[in-house]
Amino acid sequence: MTQQPPHRYLGKARKSVDGIEKVTGRARYAGDVYLPGMLHGKLALSMYAHARIVRIDTAAAKAIPGVVAVLTAHDLPVRQHQPSSRQTTTLARDVVRYRGEPVALVLATHPAAAEDAVAALQIDYEPLPAVVTVEAALDPAAPVIWPQGAPRADADLTAAHAAVARGEEQNGHTVSNVHERKRFSRGDAHTALAAADVVVAGTYRTSIVHQGYLEPHAVVADVDPIRKQITLYTSTQGQFGVRDEVARLLGLRPSQVTVVPMTVGGGFGAKYGILEPLAAAAAMAVGRPVRIVLDRSEDFLTTTPSPASTITLKLGATREGILTALVAEIVIDNGVYPFTLGGIMSTLLGGYYRCPNVQIDVVEVLTHKPQAGAYRAPGAPQVTFALESSIDELAHRLGLDPLELRMRNAATTGDPMGNNDPWPSMGLTKVLEVAAAHPLWRNRTPGSGVGMAIGGWPCGMSPAAAVCRVDTDGIVRVHVGSVDISGVNSSFVLVAAEILGVPPEQVEIVAGDTRSGPFAGPSGGSQITYSVTGAVAATAREARRQLLEIAADMLEARIDDLDIREGEVLVRGVPGRSLPIGEVARRAQEQPGGPGPIVGEGRAAPAENAPGFVAHIVQVAVDQETGRVQPLRYVAIQDVGFPLNPLMVEGQIHGGAVQGIGWALHEALRYDERGELLTASLMDYTLPRAADVPSIEAVLVTNPAPNGPFGARGVGEPPITAGAAAIANAIRDATGARIYELPMRDEIVFQAIRQVSKEECL
Amino acid sequence: MIPAPFDYYAPNSLAEALTLLQQHGDDAKILAGGHSLLPAMKLRLASPAILIDINKISELRGIKVNGTVEIGALTTWSAIEQDAALAKACPVMAEAVSLIGDIQVRNRGTIGGSLAHADPAADMPAVVLALDAHIHVEGPNGPRTIAATDFFTDMLSTALEPGEIITSITFNSLGPGEGAAYAKFPHPASRYAIVGAAAYVKMENGQVTACRVAITGAGPKAERQPAVEQALIGTDGNADAIAAAAAHAGEGMDMLGDIHASEEYRRAMCKVYTKRALLKAVERAR
Repeated sequence: MTQQPPHRYLGKARKSVDGIEKVTGRARYAGDVYLPGMLHGKLALSMYAHARIVRIDTAAAKAIPGVVAVLTAHDLPVRQHQPSSRQTTTLARDVVRYRGEPVALVLATHPAAAEDAVAALQIDYEPLPAVVTVEAALDPAAPVIWPQGAPRADADLTAAHAAVARGEEQNGHTVSNVHERKRFSRGDAHTALAAADVVVAGTYRTSIVHQGYLEPHAVVADVDPIRKQITLYTSTQGQFGVRDEVARLLGLRPSQVTVVPMTVGGGFGAKYGILEPLAAAAAMAVGRPVRIVLDRSEDFLTTTPSPASTITLKLGATREGILTALVAEIVIDNGVYPFTLGGIMSTLLGGYYRCPNVQIDVVEVLTHKPQAGAYRAPGAPQVTFALESSIDELAHRLGLDPLELRMRNAATTGDPMGNNDPWPSMGLTKVLEVAAAHPLWRNRTPGSGVGMAIGGWPCGMSPAAAVCRVDTDGIVRVHVGSVDISGVNSSFVLVAAEILGVPPEQVEIVAGDTRSGPFAGPSGGSQITYSVTGAVAATAREARRQLLEIAADMLEARIDDLDIREGEVLVRGVPGRSLPIGEVARRAQEQPGGPGPIVGEGRAAPAENAPGFVAHIVQVAVDQETGRVQPLRYVAIQDVGFPLNPLMVEGQIHGGAVQGIGWALHEALRYDERGELLTASLMDYTLPRAADVPSIEAVLVTNPAPNGPFGARGVGEPPITAGAAAIANAIRDATGARIYELPMRDEIVFQAIRQVSKEECL
Repeated sequence: MIPAPFDYYAPNSLAEALTLLQQHGDDAKILAGGHSLLPAMKLRLASPAILIDINKISELRGIKVNGTVEIGALTTWSAIEQDAALAKACPVMAEAVSLIGDIQVRNRGTIGGSLAHADPAADMPAVVLALDAHIHVEGPNGPRTIAATDFFTDMLSTALEPGEIITSITFNSLGPGEGAAYAKFPHPASRYAIVGAAAYVKMENGQVTACRVAITGAGPKAERQPAVEQALIGTDGNADAIAAAAAHAGEGMDMLGDIHASEEYRRAMCKVYTKRALLKAVERAR
């Protein structure tokens, strides 16, 4: 193998390309778009978790000055009338099935008029029995939410997140509130469990967690009534998927819909098209642009948070600490429409560790609550909390170092995941080795409140293309169709700069809309760096090839003797013989009969994904009198393959760790027995704040992905997976109390500590 | 998040404000810092037809320290937090105020507005109770003074009569042998008090001779804790005596319970935070 020359730009920390716009408020978000004649939309949300809409009296609302229209389901030019998912429903038709379901849309010339009109709407409901909890939904006597059978979730835009997941369908055909049962198994788990030297068992509960993005859902729809075309300016993670869904619902060809992805103020899996179909339909209905921007409470009420789960887990092991059996049941609260995380949850739960006997049963349940949706590594924090808490407990039972126990059982490349597919190249043992050597772990003393956990994510992939143009001033523009939600553009810049030999400041990434941008998959599943970088690299290589070929003529040198450095094409060994790339481009495109403008195209379609694994070590202080937990130190070790731009990678790790702390200690959407949301504002829904978060040390492990661009792996999702379990294990170390419930809020920890001291007194 | 329409007045004097208030009666609300009222209006939980903005009435603003302390009702939290003379005369004020909301809230929120609103989870009610403060009001029948112990009557309810406006709050400066403290268990999201305990002690010859403890957040209104006070008076204020006294915290109080903290948990936290406030107050009194 030949030695690669060291990278000039890649792998070196470089600040975000759009940071200055974001911190100075100059970035354009969807809510900043104002179009001539635009109307402000305001939703009337259902006050009931389940009710029949008896009558909507719009007269008083329509009488308010500035109100242009009050739309209900019957006024919208929507093709699909049978609701099948949150993404495919616009306004409720006849029946509402969760508190917060949109019932009507007021359009007015001013937002205040729209809000007055919503308050003036008279909506008569006939309340129906609501099935709010999973326990209630599973009761054989419970009302069935979808008596005609649960709607199919196949048109789901969030499928972007789902990794490969197979399982045996366990569905009977009786109609119930269980929309799917699946079993994932290998070996004979029950026999192995009975024969195990040691068994630990626990039931772990996790709450409904909101993605917590700063920017609520926002969209502006423009309409060309003559050509029947729609343009959507929106906060989305994937413009192409949104376009297709809007077109399907409105009965248009995809090319009649243009989706312009604006700067995204956080998405984390929630922004694959919730308001877009409604805004588009409303704009069509009135023939004017329509703007809908949710406020925080509306966003809590009517979007798609991560589902709650109850995971009953039994692990069996030999005295030496070798796992022999894993038996689990995962019950998931999906809200009103089917959403199936059971596959990926089982894939991870049965995949982190080598275990010959596994049986995982998944029960996907419907309730009268908002539909569940994707949130960064969907399903992973839940199963990781259960599994990694259990592993920690098993280590206590065996008297083994918890990290050593993990090392003895860690899965490696080729071992089966929970769905029995083999893991592609993965680096769990490598991150464990780094964790074992870290001073926070190595130097810990019992009771000092230090805990650790591992986590992982398969990471996604999809084909993508990119186009590269060289301008006459030397600026290189790379056109992509991906949305930058994580700093990927700040890595693409380095990729193009490295290959072309131009300084990164000379490279611009142009994120296109569905009309102008080359295709890319949605920004989910940690796939953009992995998938689109290849296309960026390919197009940069092509542009470089053209530059050198054309410059060879101009410089009267052989192509092989040319190089590009700092934006200049130069002849190696001949000082002074050089041309700026802008000059090459100018001459190429201005000369009649010449070579023409410099434009490269590139494509990539990776065929094997590259999982990312993490080990998180946390130290906490627990106020023994109150139960309040304060994380003090946080070390996040992650196999990133190769960090194209380490600053962006560390940013992803910091953000993921903070959200993991949110899962662990703070966040839960909580509903009362009637299905009313009790945490519909940031006064009640607790997000971690700066003071709740310690400084986070990101440790990058470089275990190259065989098919990744420059060895890079996806990095966005893995860092959210392990935090809850690591903190639970740290609390166990500090107090002796094992917490089985997320979030581990003050009162829960307080009660667990009391329980431990009671047991000690006995 | 846009309030319903309302009319707006900004009187220049207290007399003018009182006249407006009398004219419009229940339709009108006084706007001081607006940090409780405006969110309620934006959520349309409150839709007053008329707002009387008293911020132009400068006579309601300011802090005077002269053996006693007088704080104008319109004085902002940040002004209280930063007042050097007050910090010397009664350091618990700045201690408690620094735990209210965030900097933006403290720049706008006022002491009079907070007391008049009487949010059960606000911090200041406990502090004025522990300091045995007096609340001075002006109304259609002239001025009157209400003792803090008589002021908070129920959840969001006070002894203010219709048409009355708080003008100032007074209490004694702390002298030698006196100490006060505020300890707060903040709600993790709102940072209001799940339990806030304010404590005042007077030590003479190594003995606790006076003690006032008040708790906010736990019940529908802030309340003095006579059982705690009685248990501590006459002791030397050591840690065991404080713990024994604090064990009476919450006795006889109605406890609130919600998704963030059950009644049982709030009761337990009353004891913990009363103990923590007393430990600090005694240390400062010594």
